[in-house]
Amino acid sequence: MNTAEKIATNERGRISIRNVTKVYDPDGAKVLAVDNCSMEIEAGEFCVVVGPSGCGKTTLLNAIAGFHSITSGEIHLDGELLCSGQKRTQPGSDRIVVFQNGALFPWYTVLENVTFGPVVQGGVNEKDAKDKARAMLGQMGLEGIENNYPSEISSGMRRRVEIARAMMNDPSVLLLDEPFRAMDALTKTVVHQFLLDVYDKSKKTVFFITHDLEEAIFLGSKVYIMTTRPAQIKTILNVDIPRPRDFRALSSATYIRLKKECIEAVHEEALKAFKAGEREMA
Amino acid sequence: MATASSQQFNWVKFRKSVFSLTTGRGIASIIIFTILWEICSRLGVPIIGNVPPPSAVLAALGKQLVSPAYWMSWLDSFVRILTGFAIAQVLGIPLGLLLGVNRTARELIYPIFEIMRPIPPLAWVPIAVIFWPTTELSMMFVTFLGAFFTVVLNIVGGASSIDLRYIRAAHSLGSSRSDIFWRVMLPATLPSIVVGMTVGMGITWAVVVAAEMIASRSGLGFLTWRAYVAGEYPLIIIGMMSIGIAGYVSSALIRMIGSRLTPWLRTF
Repeated sequence: MNTAEKIATNERGRISIRNVTKVYDPDGAKVLAVDNCSMEIEAGEFCVVVGPSGCGKTTLLNAIAGFHSITSGEIHLDGELLCSGQKRTQPGSDRIVVFQNGALFPWYTVLENVTFGPVVQGGVNEKDAKDKARAMLGQMGLEGIENNYPSEISSGMRRRVEIARAMMNDPSVLLLDEPFRAMDALTKTVVHQFLLDVYDKSKKTVFFITHDLEEAIFLGSKVYIMTTRPAQIKTILNVDIPRPRDFRALSSATYIRLKKECIEAVHEEALKAFKAGEREMA
Repeated sequence: MATASSQQFNWVKFRKSVFSLTTGRGIASIIIFTILWEICSRLGVPIIGNVPPPSAVLAALGKQLVSPAYWMSWLDSFVRILTGFAIAQVLGIPLGLLLGVNRTARELIYPIFEIMRPIPPLAWVPIAVIFWPTTELSMMFVTFLGAFFTVVLNIVGGASSIDLRYIRAAHSLGSSRSDIFWRVMLPATLPSIVVGMTVGMGITWAVVVAAEMIASRSGLGFLTWRAYVAGEYPLIIIGMMSIGIAGYVSSALIRMIGSRLTPWLRTF
């Protein structure tokens, strides 16, 4: 926390991924998931990683989060070594993950979920934490549900609550692993807007994984397109759509041009992945 | 915890559920069953004719309801149930959690459970009588066994199938090991604990009644068996019904406690 406090908020969250390789070795069958992958993510960048299913995107996210080790290479956060082939990091509240299927605790109310981080980390009194949580929920358009259990609110609300729970800890990096997958298109547009608002206000570094290209371009500052497994960076697209963005950006000429570039790059990889899948099946 | 509206008693909902078609049909079903039973019993229909008619049971019931011995049978059975059941929870819940959370403990202790589990609790009666100094203790022991295995096995199942996402999320939010246990593992396992308690309570009654018939001089099981031996057939029926009601009340109590413990599972 100390080192993080020394660095001003807008300079926190620089991630440097250097030559990371990950080999999964279940029962001796060596599977190369990530191959010599390097990325430089600036502080406050909205980084979106796109790639075919099973290409190793989540492996990379889990390594940053501290859920998995890496085989070789290094990952640095704000100049400090987070993990390498020799060192495994522990999960921490400076890098909070929002999971694919959501991980709100069903046994806690919305408010208890959002204050979970400050409560377990200690050092704040309960009232302050609750006030901050209510403000956070308000900012996300979630008034009036603080005493409900997650099962009682819609999936779009749940995902927003989860983002609020992450933001409560003032993390350096927000790690989002296909958070809006399996969400209907209408709900998605609403949740996108809230995420963009939160991002514009906080300017946190966001590491966002998806295979929805439209989502990637609409949200991201940079879109990293990955190759099929073993994962490497194939192309980096700079999304020069001005912020704040809203749904109108979806019909801008820049958006359409980027989408075309993106589709072409991804299609090639998707085809490779598909063929590889067929080979495995045969 | 719950919202204000759910704490107030909902009279409209209550009235609707009491005076509903479902309730009416339920009552009709019971009345028709009783009438059929009365008729068959009086006409001497084979097999059913041996069972005393409801009118005779009702007549005998009056005498029992004012008899202290009858109520002592209730008390004795309940004391055995509650003691055995409570000890099963006190020992079973921590053990189940330990086995669920700690792999080494599970691999060391679980095989013994796998061996013991298929032995029906009643098969323990002879060894329990030899082992414990009093019949009362042996009876409580058998009752305890009935609930213990169910509770432990349910908790182990629940605790070892906790979704990894919750543990990762808790880690990520800065939880210590004890936070993970108290704030994630325990609440995540609570539904399994409640299921274990509910099923365990049912088994407990089955066990205590049979154990009382075999080895006791008191309790509802003994009352029923003694009625058979003495040829007081209406009292057999009274004993059976009493056991049914006692079992129902105990299960309802457990369900009530269970729903208090797991408010997030309530459907509105």
